[in-house]
Amino acid sequence: MQEELGFEAVSLHSLDEMGDVERDTLPFGVVGFAADTAVQVYNATEARMSGLDRTSVIGVPFFEAVAQCMNNFMVAQRFEDEPEIDAVVPYILTLRMRPTKVRLRLLASADTVRRYILIER
Amino acid sequence: MTERSSEEQLLEFLYACPVGLLECDAAGEIGMMNPHAMQHLLPLAGPRNAGNLFSALEQHAPELRSIIAAFGSATGRVCDGHRIFVELGAGRRTAAPKVIACTVVKLGPDRLMATLTDISQQVVQEQRLRQADTWFGSLLDGINDYAALTILPNGRIVAGDACFTRQTGYDVADVVGRDLSDVLKTDASGGDLRLDEQLFLAERDGWHLQEGWQQRADGERYWCQRLVVARSDCNESCPTGFSVVLRDVPRRAAAAEDLRRLLTRDHLTGAANRRHFSQVLEREQTQWRDLRHSLSLIVLDLDHFKVINDTHGHPVGDIVLRRVADVCAALLPPRGIFARLGGEEFGALLPRYDREQAIGLAEDLRTAVAAIKVETQGGILSLTASFGCATLDEAEGSIDVLIALADERLYAAKHAGRNQVFHSEAYAA
Repeated sequence: MQEELGFEAVSLHSLDEMGDVERDTLPFGVVGFAADTAVQVYNATEARMSGLDRTSVIGVPFFEAVAQCMNNFMVAQRFEDEPEIDAVVPYILTLRMRPTKVRLRLLASADTVRRYILIER
Repeated sequence: MTERSSEEQLLEFLYACPVGLLECDAAGEIGMMNPHAMQHLLPLAGPRNAGNLFSALEQHAPELRSIIAAFGSATGRVCDGHRIFVELGAGRRTAAPKVIACTVVKLGPDRLMATLTDISQQVVQEQRLRQADTWFGSLLDGINDYAALTILPNGRIVAGDACFTRQTGYDVADVVGRDLSDVLKTDASGGDLRLDEQLFLAERDGWHLQEGWQQRADGERYWCQRLVVARSDCNESCPTGFSVVLRDVPRRAAAAEDLRRLLTRDHLTGAANRRHFSQVLEREQTQWRDLRHSLSLIVLDLDHFKVINDTHGHPVGDIVLRRVADVCAALLPPRGIFARLGGEEFGALLPRYDREQAIGLAEDLRTAVAAIKVETQGGILSLTASFGCATLDEAEGSIDVLIALADERLYAAKHAGRNQVFHSEAYAA
């Protein structure tokens, strides 16, 4: 059971079915957003790493207001171009303005409206 | 609102800031940066360390390190809006070629603050304005200095005015019926358009303007702006003749020449910079498309340059780069452009050179680089470089493919043992 909820193992569908409380217990950051990039899911782990409160992030365009460092061909463009993605990419984020090495998992599926980015420090 | 701490508000502000901000030490190690800065740096860094400003920019703006090192004051503005030209080719042409402006302020001996801003759109607008400026400038400036001529589609002179005689020294009566290009002895050796080529473009586009060297009757060379306008009678689709306007343009004054050097030269080596290289490439691509003028590119990369830097230090590495640029630029033909494309990578752009000529020149450059001797405290240092060549014909007119082909061959030369020019496939194309 634990295995299935790991950073590399957890599926897009199970993330979608979880409630906020359950997503908050995951040890990695979870950001879910709509096709227009407005943030719908922002779990507690991600809020802790970024220093931002969930309530101030929900509804804002993710790649423009929160994660401009992912607003390039390596991340944001992929969600534009590829209807189906499940890829892990090594990346550098600027959590609390400090360059921080992380792994990202990009998740999108043609039959699911919400897309996800998982962040592992 | 009141529940949010001021720290959180500050973070939110920095996450959303649409300008890249970063702070680093004198060695370029980044302490803090906002997401917008990383948005630009990460793609530029490629496999290099994006956590260090200099290594992230090593490929696209290697000059930044030397500009900052050469800054003498303890504090102050090191550079303001320094332009980083990201793409050499036109790319996929879905958007403007990417240009980033970088401003660096020195806050202390080991503390730098930098901003990064995307100014691609602004640069496109500037280019458009500059073209319009040249055009209106040539129409409005000193209208009396214009020589006006009428010629036939075959280039023969039908009529000219008194200013033509003043400017060129030829009596109009003596040159009527002669070919204008014979009269002006336009210097086309360097790659300027010949008159017939210019007529072809004027017929297609309605007009064409170019600058180049011409000769007066007494043999004196002068720099001339030549505007050719197609004329047609009523409903004729083919031009029945051309109006030619010649303007004697004194060469640019020293101050303008300084500015030009500043904008087109690499700070360290004096070779052309990426921006200039990119502009010439686009100009030559147009000529290839319109007139099928051949164009070759040689790229070269110094072998084991990192070892030189690591063993002898950056100052010696800098001397080596300068010597390579001097030696190679001296071997180029008049219209050739020798540019620094990255840390230790250079490119030679050769208008009207075919593949064999380019490979021949690459061999000469290789020999010249291998003959360089640099004196260091540890003895005489010598070096070698590897070379790849490609032509715009092979690339079917694509700048991106041209660069990729030359790079590919450069790496083949590296893999084959370095200090060589990649040769095979010579007869494939």
